[in-house]
Amino acid sequence: MFGYYISLALRSIRGTPILSALMIAAIAVGVGAAMTTLTLNHMMSQNPLDRKDSVLYAVQLDGWDPNEAYDSNNQMPWQLTYKDAQALLRSDIPTHQIAMHRTGFTVEKDNSDLRPFTADTRATTRDFFTLFDVPFIYGGTWNADADKSPVQQVVLSKETNDKLFDGENSVGKSISLNGEPFTVVGVIDHWNPVPKVYDLNNGPFNDSEELYIPFGLHRRFEMYSWGNTNGWKNDDSEGYEGFLQSENIWIQYWVQLDTAEQVEQYRDFLTGYIRQQKEQGRFERPLKFGLSHPSEWLVLNEALRDDNRVLGWLSLAFLLVCVVNAVALLLAKFLRKAPEAGVRRALGASRNAVFTQHLIESACIGITGGLFGILLAILGLQSVKHLAMGYIDQLAYMDWQMVLAAIGLAILASLLAGAYPAWRISRTNPSIYLKTQ
Amino acid sequence: MLKMHNIRKSYRTDTIETHALRDFSLEVAEGEFVSVTGPSGSGKTTFLNIAGLLETSTGGQYLLDGEDVSGLNDRDRSRLRNEKIGFIFQGFNLIPDLNLFDNIDVPLRYRGFNAKERRKRIEKVLEQVGLAARAKHLPAQLSGGQQQRVAIARALAGEPRFLLADEPTGNLDSLMARQVMELLEFINEWGTTIVMVTHDPDLARRAHRNIQIVDGQVSDMRNANSVAEAATA
Repeated sequence: MFGYYISLALRSIRGTPILSALMIAAIAVGVGAAMTTLTLNHMMSQNPLDRKDSVLYAVQLDGWDPNEAYDSNNQMPWQLTYKDAQALLRSDIPTHQIAMHRTGFTVEKDNSDLRPFTADTRATTRDFFTLFDVPFIYGGTWNADADKSPVQQVVLSKETNDKLFDGENSVGKSISLNGEPFTVVGVIDHWNPVPKVYDLNNGPFNDSEELYIPFGLHRRFEMYSWGNTNGWKNDDSEGYEGFLQSENIWIQYWVQLDTAEQVEQYRDFLTGYIRQQKEQGRFERPLKFGLSHPSEWLVLNEALRDDNRVLGWLSLAFLLVCVVNAVALLLAKFLRKAPEAGVRRALGASRNAVFTQHLIESACIGITGGLFGILLAILGLQSVKHLAMGYIDQLAYMDWQMVLAAIGLAILASLLAGAYPAWRISRTNPSIYLKTQ
Repeated sequence: MLKMHNIRKSYRTDTIETHALRDFSLEVAEGEFVSVTGPSGSGKTTFLNIAGLLETSTGGQYLLDGEDVSGLNDRDRSRLRNEKIGFIFQGFNLIPDLNLFDNIDVPLRYRGFNAKERRKRIEKVLEQVGLAARAKHLPAQLSGGQQQRVAIARALAGEPRFLLADEPTGNLDSLMARQVMELLEFINEWGTTIVMVTHDPDLARRAHRNIQIVDGQVSDMRNANSVAEAATA
């Protein structure tokens, strides 16, 4: 009977093209608007490190102004000072640990027509690639020595390698960064976690960096953060060394702790470190540190902001309005067909059969509306991309999960819209229509 | 075939209760052709709706083909309606956007016949009513008489044992009415039990038996030869 109901539905839709088009449009607009917003919210609230969520931790230390807590959700600074990061790096408890920040270099290639360009760069310790499971196409990361001493080696992103070396294996080749020669030791595959969970407070939806260089190059290149640097204390020390030893926070710190024992040991280590610093006159606030899994880090940093959530609810409310409109239109359409339903009842159709027939017609309208809704959502996302001028390119696309969600939402919307009219027509007394038709 | 005992049917609004049938009792034997007459509002259509399982009675007992249908649920009533009862209406009640073939196909779909069986039955009944060549026509492309013949074909396709006709010639001119009546008589001769509501005394007289309903009750039952004067226009 399912095939029969489908053929009846298509015949009915063809028989009332304008009314059907209005219903399809109502559902399409509702689904389109809802999916545009929900897609953005979905992409914003993803955890790209979900696979390692249980063992990765973002580290926070509360060495902030004793008179005023840091303005964050857990009242601790998002980033660490350089000297604290260097101190934590001396721990051998974590399986992997990284200190890092965003910076930038001017890239040149000798004997090339390529014009120099500025590249987003991440200065990081070598565990970055292992800790975040960054895949390599060629080569690998630099030696451990490079994290402490100035070794001019670089890992390229796939896109940068394509740009500089046409995608060929560039390991061992040289490029110039800020006029200094760097040897390529590795090329990573396309890797762009969204949101950029490892550095949420410097643009959570920015692309990942184009270059990765060792953390030991700070003094050699006097690197500053190309992101947020915050401070609370006026230091007397001058120059770059003064900056490195200051209370300015600009380093992101992550650790991988695979076992509960490691976590416990690391907590003890952080507690001990803070106590030691307190004895030296630092960390005047109550002893406090943070170890947050990536999923917790996303929530703390409000990667998905409250206004996006509100927008999500508003878009669902709009869909509800569209569904209510579709209910009214379906009711008008089905009640106009009540005499036919009466005839079918007389000829042996049960109430359930009449209900199912009309519900399937609603679902057909809903699926068609949903497909148009997906197109509208794609157009909507393109518009958002255009308005955001590239800022959220990584967010404004529908993955298969969201396409399936859109179809599901459309079917759900149409079933919600169709259920009442279908129920009404299945409950009407056929004899009324049989006598008067 | 049909046995009603003390059937009651009332309709209730906020302020008024209307008794459409009161202690209505009737038996129709298998193979009978019974005409039902009575003034407007007497309860003829209510009787037909209850007999056809389109409505439930408020009280009393109704046996259809020996089965008590009073307490059946909608699904079982629908199945019985589909298998045992054929309907013919004054307004034909063909589905306007389905061609003749598809109109006759409707009850057979609900019966669950396969495509081959349905086609065989549809072609057979269209042949019987003389419209085999017009299977792909829409109802609007036929005359009133032809439409009623299609409705009869649709009612017969499932080979019901019981045919309910509500003013089957009410919308037809006399020539067409006569043809339809002859068709019904022919069907009855094959053994199908027919109950026909009519205002036409001439048609009522052609049935085996006439029942007159007044104020929701059977007021008179007589054989057809003496029915002419009882039927009311």
